[in-house]
Amino acid sequence: MIWAVSRMEAKMKISRQFLIIAVSALFLFAALYFFRKGEAETAPPALHPPSAIDSTKCIAPAAFMRAKHMQVLYEWRNSSVRAGNRVHVAANGSRFEKSLNTCLGCHSNNRFFCYNCHMYANVKPTCWNCHLSPMETPR
Amino acid sequence: MNEQRREFIKKTASGVLVALGAASGLIPAFSLEKTVLPVWDEEPVPGKIRWGMLIDTRKCRADCQQCIAACHHEHNVPDFKNSRDEIRWIEKNSYEHLFPLASNQVVSKEIRDRSFPALCNHCADSPCVRVCPTGATFRRWDGIVAMDYHRCNGCRACMAACPYGSRSFNWQDPRVAIHDPVTVYPTREQGVVEKCNFCSDRMVRGLQPACLEACPESAVTFGDLNDSNSDIRILLGSNATMQCRPQLGTKPSVFYIL
Repeated sequence: MIWAVSRMEAKMKISRQFLIIAVSALFLFAALYFFRKGEAETAPPALHPPSAIDSTKCIAPAAFMRAKHMQVLYEWRNSSVRAGNRVHVAANGSRFEKSLNTCLGCHSNNRFFCYNCHMYANVKPTCWNCHLSPMETPR
Repeated sequence: MNEQRREFIKKTASGVLVALGAASGLIPAFSLEKTVLPVWDEEPVPGKIRWGMLIDTRKCRADCQQCIAACHHEHNVPDFKNSRDEIRWIEKNSYEHLFPLASNQVVSKEIRDRSFPALCNHCADSPCVRVCPTGATFRRWDGIVAMDYHRCNGCRACMAACPYGSRSFNWQDPRVAIHDPVTVYPTREQGVVEKCNFCSDRMVRGLQPACLEACPESAVTFGDLNDSNSDIRILLGSNATMQCRPQLGTKPSVFYIL
């Protein structure tokens, strides 16, 4: 009797495992299907395939950025808006999108990121008249 | 089944759920939208592409304002609720307004009552580009007449030059009149001119123009006028179309099927 019960339990266990695996596999397939579908629907008219962009680290050492970020941003704004060259290649070969959002991707964690230094140095850049500053980015 | 394994499966399942939620937009991963970048490492070839738009006005409903609402929401266009400060990127206008010198002196009532979406024509020979003293308005490599708001000094020469009235001036700070701002596109500031950008911002993200996506009748076609196999060229080849005031020689990139 005991033997029979434990065997039944083992069977149930196996069937439950099977169920879990089957359900998660179904889920993954469904997710994959919807992703594919979404991709196909939002295909642009005649654009090129997207390229891999790494935006997890800073584009240059902090000391350089502290001293030269205005020149970098000035170059970015001209070449991306006017020449259409939106990819920045850093000295170590990693690639970034030329956008304020690339900076704010990490630096919006600190609400006073831009504001602190600009207050201290008494400079009043006009970026935030139009663009969203780290203070205004919703979270 | 031991406890560890059970925990593992639970956590994996919740992870998958969260990932799905983030992917479907239920849980915002990051408030500023990521760009889908085309491979533009090298400078794009000027003149290779010329974006154009074709509007089938037979399908356009007179009472529908969805293209305007979508465009103005997408680009943080302010709504001041008075015509003196009004900013518009796209509007709906009448036949006489858009085609004043069209030879049809007597048009059918149906066409007279039709509404025509009017936006910047992104002219190949644009008067606004010619008069801009600072180079803030320029013709891009892909035929889009773009505004570089960084350089606009608000002289409004372009507004005088544009024969279509496609441009608006920010007499006030527009931010006070943006009721439902989006974070993916900047606003403008007081003292700059603004206009339709043919959704060049959305194109960078791999999306079609906002007015095209919003149109419930699919009356709008967007595509490359230089590509003879594009949808827009096929439609242009098989339909009689009109441009706004072609006699001015501005070569507009927006076409209309009457």
